[in-house]
Amino acid sequence: MTATPQASAPASRQTDWMGDAMQKRIARRYAAERRFKFLGLAAVALSSLFLAFLLVVMIGNGAKGFVTTEATLTIDLPAATGSISPDQLTEPRLAATMASIDVRRIFDQAVQAQYGDDGARYFASTAWTALRNQLVENPNLVMGKTSFWLPTSSDIDRAAKDRSTPEAERDYAALTKAGEVRQSFNMQFLTGSDGTDPARVGIWGALKGSLITMVVTLFLAFPVGVLAAVYLEEYAPKNRFTDLIEVSINNLAAVPSIIFGLLGLAVFLQFLSMPRSAALVGGLTLALMTMPVIVIAARNAIKAVPPSIREAAMGVGASPIQVVFHHVLPLAIPGIMTGTIIGMARALGETAPLLMIGMRAFTTTPPDGLTDPATVLPVQIFLWSDEVNRGFVEKTSAAIIVLLVFLLTMNAIAVYLRNRFETRW
Amino acid sequence: MLDNLASATTKPKMSARDVRVFYGPKEAIKGVSIDIDMDNVVAFIGPSGCGKSTFLRTLNRMNDTIPIARVEGDITLDGENIYSSSMDVVQLRARVGMVFQKPNPFPKSIYDNVAYGPRIHGLAPNKAELDQIVENSLVRAGLWNEVKDRLQDSGTALSGGQQQRLCIARAIAVDPEVILMDEPCSALDPIATAKIEELIHELRGRYAIVIVTHNMQQAARVSQKTAFFHLGTMVEYGDTSDIFTNPREERTRDYITGRYG
Amino acid sequence: MTITATFFLIAGLGLIAWVFARARAGRFIQSGVASVHSLPSYHGWYAAMWAVVPAILFLLVWSTIAPALGSYQVLESPLAAGLPTDAFERAAILSEARALSHNPDLKVFNDAAVKLAPLYAAADSKYAMIGALAAFLLCFAGGAFAFTRIRPDFRARTQVERTVMFGLLLASLIAILATLGIVASLIFETVRFFGMVSPFEFLFGLDWNPSDKVVDGQATGFGAVPLFWGTVFIGAIIAMLVAIPLGLMSAVYLTQYASANVRKWMKPILEILAGVPTVVYGYFAALTVAPALRSFAVSIGITDASSESALAAGLVMGVMIIPFVSSMADDSIAAVPGSMRDGSLAMGATKSETIKQVLIPAALPGVVGGVLLAVSRAIGETMIVVMAAGLAANLTANPFASVTTVTTQIVQLLTGDTDFDSPMTLAAFALGLTLFVVTLLLNIVALQIVKRYREAYD
Repeated sequence: MTATPQASAPASRQTDWMGDAMQKRIARRYAAERRFKFLGLAAVALSSLFLAFLLVVMIGNGAKGFVTTEATLTIDLPAATGSISPDQLTEPRLAATMASIDVRRIFDQAVQAQYGDDGARYFASTAWTALRNQLVENPNLVMGKTSFWLPTSSDIDRAAKDRSTPEAERDYAALTKAGEVRQSFNMQFLTGSDGTDPARVGIWGALKGSLITMVVTLFLAFPVGVLAAVYLEEYAPKNRFTDLIEVSINNLAAVPSIIFGLLGLAVFLQFLSMPRSAALVGGLTLALMTMPVIVIAARNAIKAVPPSIREAAMGVGASPIQVVFHHVLPLAIPGIMTGTIIGMARALGETAPLLMIGMRAFTTTPPDGLTDPATVLPVQIFLWSDEVNRGFVEKTSAAIIVLLVFLLTMNAIAVYLRNRFETRW
Repeated sequence: MLDNLASATTKPKMSARDVRVFYGPKEAIKGVSIDIDMDNVVAFIGPSGCGKSTFLRTLNRMNDTIPIARVEGDITLDGENIYSSSMDVVQLRARVGMVFQKPNPFPKSIYDNVAYGPRIHGLAPNKAELDQIVENSLVRAGLWNEVKDRLQDSGTALSGGQQQRLCIARAIAVDPEVILMDEPCSALDPIATAKIEELIHELRGRYAIVIVTHNMQQAARVSQKTAFFHLGTMVEYGDTSDIFTNPREERTRDYITGRYG
Repeated sequence: MTITATFFLIAGLGLIAWVFARARAGRFIQSGVASVHSLPSYHGWYAAMWAVVPAILFLLVWSTIAPALGSYQVLESPLAAGLPTDAFERAAILSEARALSHNPDLKVFNDAAVKLAPLYAAADSKYAMIGALAAFLLCFAGGAFAFTRIRPDFRARTQVERTVMFGLLLASLIAILATLGIVASLIFETVRFFGMVSPFEFLFGLDWNPSDKVVDGQATGFGAVPLFWGTVFIGAIIAMLVAIPLGLMSAVYLTQYASANVRKWMKPILEILAGVPTVVYGYFAALTVAPALRSFAVSIGITDASSESALAAGLVMGVMIIPFVSSMADDSIAAVPGSMRDGSLAMGATKSETIKQVLIPAALPGVVGGVLLAVSRAIGETMIVVMAAGLAANLTANPFASVTTVTTQIVQLLTGDTDFDSPMTLAAFALGLTLFVVTLLLNIVALQIVKRYREAYD
């Protein structure tokens, strides 16, 4: 730009838009436009394909977890138990009668009789408890000769579903030929607890632990979160102390979850000597994590209530507390609920902080109280994923399916609430 | 209304015939016909919501960016229908430039703001020519002397009036044939407004200029022809002096004398 | 009487106080006293408050000190005389005895515990009884006090509202308490850790090989640089290489190109990615992605590829972060004034030219802030790396090799029994503090950038 401006300004050069060079250039630019748009589409497609792939893998692996393989076992119970008269099976004496039957021995003998000396390899080591459960459910079976369907060993289970050891494959083929094996819905998976035999484990123990933990979390985080939001949004004076509260809440919302685990370990377990592995401590820890989420959602919901509502209530002489609790909060409830559900869903899927406070208890019975050793569904998934036994792969995936069903339902409810009650003021 | 279209002596640069614009089911422009020639600055006046800006945006197909908008009728540029499939919208907008109500410089340097158009359209084969285009455009926009020492500063750091002149420089850098201005002074103070008006005078003749304004004094000062819009129709179109001194239509007179608007 | 039962009884008494106080106040109105300040139900709440709050507070305090009192009484008994003097062993026996007193079926290792269990049962029930009695006394006293104050001119509503306000303030203080708890516990344990390992060695040492061995009060093998590198490599490099382009392009496509219908469906689908628990991602990474990547690496001639590669963990973590980046980019692009987009289109720029040369540069500060937030989330993420990344503390830039991260090692160090005197346990807290400080700084910087960016366009 050396020439003096005025002198060098040429007359308008009319651009030759129809010229060849310009037309080629336009074509190139449109090609770039199409490429760019395609890249965007590809990014969206790739992301959703990954989700689809993840779901397909989980469902593909996990569907088998809901199926169990059973083999038939014919037992002549009167012969095995001696004679039990019908009146022994009526109410007052029933329990004593059932207790007197040595189901385990009967099972072992029947297996030996039907499948030979090493016939035990066909059945799960806990198959006899399944037999006992069937007898307790229907005591009249004691009176006759019955064919029971009992769970097979996990090797044969895997031979039925996938691939297994050569011996198990051979056994399975033999059983199939004889029509002595079938597959059915695995009720045990939904009602049982953790165990060592992948064919017999269930998620009820972990699920119940999760539910208890979530109840604790909800009961602590919801009131505290909503009340704190009300205070900050409606009453808090603008000063440094209030700023400190706000900064704390925003920071808590951004702290990695594992740090909450360290807090739980150092404060709840070490300093306050609360019980390890307990749903109470898990709930407390998750409550601290969920509370900021609820505070932030509740504040937004309260902020969205127009000032005119408050002014109207003030105008008829309501006190500040009445304004909020009679008018503002009811209008903000849908927004608060949405935020709470999302926060709870996140807590339900959380693993790391619970590992820190030892909620990885190996419990074969579901927890009954706040302080019983418990585990939760995500931790159960983590524990099973570490198992060497290949049979746990399908159980892990099946547990993931259950967890995802819960989470997706919660999120769907939140989305529904948001759309249904979203009010434009 | 066609009688005053026929009065144009030269071949019009742009002409519209029975243009209708719909936003969904709502008809925002109800059959407007107008000719725009190279020699005159045309002002669109009318009360807010009368459709003057909407109509302006149909002239370089900026309404395409609104999904629910639909345009009917014919608009031609040098006799070629701009809504026909053979007309390329990218080229059309280069030929029919636009300046907006609020100055909207890109968050780039002053130089890059002006060079943006020539770069994307490939108008400068080398750096030296690009420099030349940038300089010429800034000179024509009357901004050169104020910014020549700080071309690398951000365009958003300029004052409002300077920003608007930068936007004009940006528009003329691609050497358009028509410049559409949508209330270019409404966000500016009187001094900046005066500068822009002066600039419009200087640009007249080189480009066909259409300016939307709701300031009647401004329309009287800068334009040779004025079109009065009301409720989606063009009520009257003629020489500015006639419109302001001796309008033919009752509604025009009422608006100009301030009965509504 | 159990604590829970006492709680419920007190709540019931509170209800009774509410009913009676409300009825009493109601009579003022019926008897036509001219100026009744508060509605009857406020008098009810006032009485219920006095009946319940002090009693519950007392119970909470009591339930924390009662076990200690019980232990003290057991130790005073002659049967306890034979206990070992070693504090640790004695505590083990006592805790077994207490557990046994709650659950007689429990298996115990110390026979002494069996003898002490009945003592514990007796002592605990005695103190529980005392606590319950005292709580009931407080409950009655409080209720009676409130009841005597019910008069037509008594400002019950003001009192109740003042208490509610105090409750609100208390609720918001929990956030500060939690923050303080985190900071205090992390700093406290870290200071103890730095008594065994020098901070310099921890922050700049290249050798991570933690053990319990303490020689001359100093522990070795706590150089955390390989962990920091692994964390950055997986969370800030590999994951971002996946998440930034995919997230940004998804946001651009969904906001600028997609039809309203596509957007309506695709946005929630992307959000599902953010809702999938990390343990599921971790399992997916370990089960499917890692083996696939390993066989791919071997097929292209990288024979030492690990089955716990940094790439597998980073890739999956990147996918997890996509919706996060995408929604931040979405917000930032939406905050760019529409006039800028119009200005570019009016120049004859194509859509992609407008996006690449105007919208994204204009939105850049917001996008950068969002990416920093995403990085802070990625480096704090635990389960994916625990399940898919390795434990080997390697300093390598080979994505097919195994690296370990800060969070992986925290989990590793705290798995199993945690002994708060071991440098390994304390090291976990030092790592936690480092993580906390870094994520905090990232968040503060990111929020500042985003805030300044929003202000620029307001």
